[in-house]
Amino acid sequence: MLAYLGHRLVAAALTLTLAFAVVFAAIHLLPGDPVTMLLGEQAGADPEVVQKMRVRLGLDRPLIEQFASSLTGIATGDLGKSLRTGEPVFTDVIVRLPRSLELIAGGLSIAVLLGIPLGIAAAKGRGRFSGTAASVIAIAGFSAPVFVSGVILVIVFSLWLNLLPSSGFVEFADDPLMHLACLVLPATAIGINFMGVVARMTRASLADTMTKEYVRLARAKGLSRQAAVLYHALPNALVPVITIIGIRAGSLLGGTVIVEALFDWPGLSSMLVSAVFARDYPVIQGSLVAIFAVFVLIGLAIDICQGLVDPRTRETAA
Amino acid sequence: MTAAPSAHATRPRMGAGPKVAVVYLAIVALAAIFAGVLSPRDPLAINPSNILASPGVRNLLGTDELGRDLLARIIYGARVSLEVAVSAVVLACAIGIPLGIGVAFCGRRVEAFAMRIIDVFVSLPEIFVAIVILAFAGGGLTTLIVTIGLLFFPHFARVAYGMTRSIRAREHVLSAISLGAGTTWIVRKEILPNMVSVIAVQASFTLSFAMLMEAGLSFLGLGVPPPTPSWGQMIGGLKNYIFINAWPVVVPSIVLFATILSVNVLGDWLQDSLNPELQR
Repeated sequence: MLAYLGHRLVAAALTLTLAFAVVFAAIHLLPGDPVTMLLGEQAGADPEVVQKMRVRLGLDRPLIEQFASSLTGIATGDLGKSLRTGEPVFTDVIVRLPRSLELIAGGLSIAVLLGIPLGIAAAKGRGRFSGTAASVIAIAGFSAPVFVSGVILVIVFSLWLNLLPSSGFVEFADDPLMHLACLVLPATAIGINFMGVVARMTRASLADTMTKEYVRLARAKGLSRQAAVLYHALPNALVPVITIIGIRAGSLLGGTVIVEALFDWPGLSSMLVSAVFARDYPVIQGSLVAIFAVFVLIGLAIDICQGLVDPRTRETAA
Repeated sequence: MTAAPSAHATRPRMGAGPKVAVVYLAIVALAAIFAGVLSPRDPLAINPSNILASPGVRNLLGTDELGRDLLARIIYGARVSLEVAVSAVVLACAIGIPLGIGVAFCGRRVEAFAMRIIDVFVSLPEIFVAIVILAFAGGGLTTLIVTIGLLFFPHFARVAYGMTRSIRAREHVLSAISLGAGTTWIVRKEILPNMVSVIAVQASFTLSFAMLMEAGLSFLGLGVPPPTPSWGQMIGGLKNYIFINAWPVVVPSIVLFATILSVNVLGDWLQDSLNPELQR
């Protein structure tokens, strides 16, 4: 297990380094120059000003040196300072990270709570109206872009029913109820898409399990169809579903980009997007590193859980 | 439960769903190609006296925040959506398929190394990488196509690699190799024809991902620069006026949703009819 753990940790660190290299390359090698972008058209046209700014930001050093120093910075928790506010990027990341994780956790819960029953209904009702309806809901959820479901949710629940706030954020400590009320719509918007994914996986897995001999045996010994499916087929069918939910949970992070923009949710992704528009490249770099780190850590946690539960994965992965 | 429903026992004919999807996509494609002829008005013509109108006689689908006709903008938006998605998928195939086949013929060391790198790229959350690239390279059709194409080529490389390995291990291919068949011959006569159905399914799903990606980036304001209309960008702009009139934002939302749904329904149908042995 220790060897497996070590192997996964090294792999995670490598992935993160490679991801950072991609970000670094995008910032420094693509045509748009961070300094001219920052200074704007007029000031950016003056080579002297540009050069001064370069030196001040440390951009005059060789690329490889900059890359190495940013990498050591990340390892020690130093993500640089914002060009706009002068605040350390790391502090902002720490404040915003839990908010994005909260959105993901909310979306994941909704996806699982709705998606698994939907998948069961689709598998059990094959060839009947209930099954078709469940499959249609699943593929519709899976096809709805996050911002389309988000906009529709706002129209229905804020505009028509006037039940929930259409956007915004309140700290949990200030007003717990309002905090949760603000969370419901964005979390649902993220969850609906993933619900479709979960439902489709549950259906496929359960449909397959329902043909297995032990399920037929359960029916033969007199168990009702309902009981055979619920107590014998379902637990086994859910094993691969849980694995895949774990593997794809990181993709919910991608949904937060749109949802945080749509609902003014002050998380990591909105930090990235506003930094992109402000050309604040240390913040772009820092928030991306944090996002990739979350992504890699989710993957790592899942690998470790799997290794603990199922010894076979340790051998194949190592 | 005597006739146990097997996951692959029902091989679907072209049911009602896929048929509707084909018709709908055909309409979208025609709208994209003949936008100039079909569009009732100029998609860029501003009319300050008629902003945020609901669907009606004057403007069939209503108007946006500058009084531009939504039907015209949706028709021209179809062009952007399809052009970006289709070109990106073609680019991803053009890079991914030869790479995957090539790697499968390179021997174990190269294989292990290349697939590791590709796995890392597949595992990165695409939208974040796209945001960085577009932020620095600037939006626009070409940048969007190249960015999305580059983000999705590893998926094709993976599929092509897997298929090549399994096809090459089949007995009749092994015997052809032992009789002296060259690599080019094997690739052309055995591997490519056998790969088509799996690639077609992958392409259909990638097409819907690429559409989603373009719409999402344009929604954020990082995709196609205005005034060129794109569905995602229209939704991103109109969402700010929901409390004045919700209709205008609903229209492009439904069109985009229906398009992605149709592509996915067709993808499912392709999957079930071309590769019944595979589970989705």
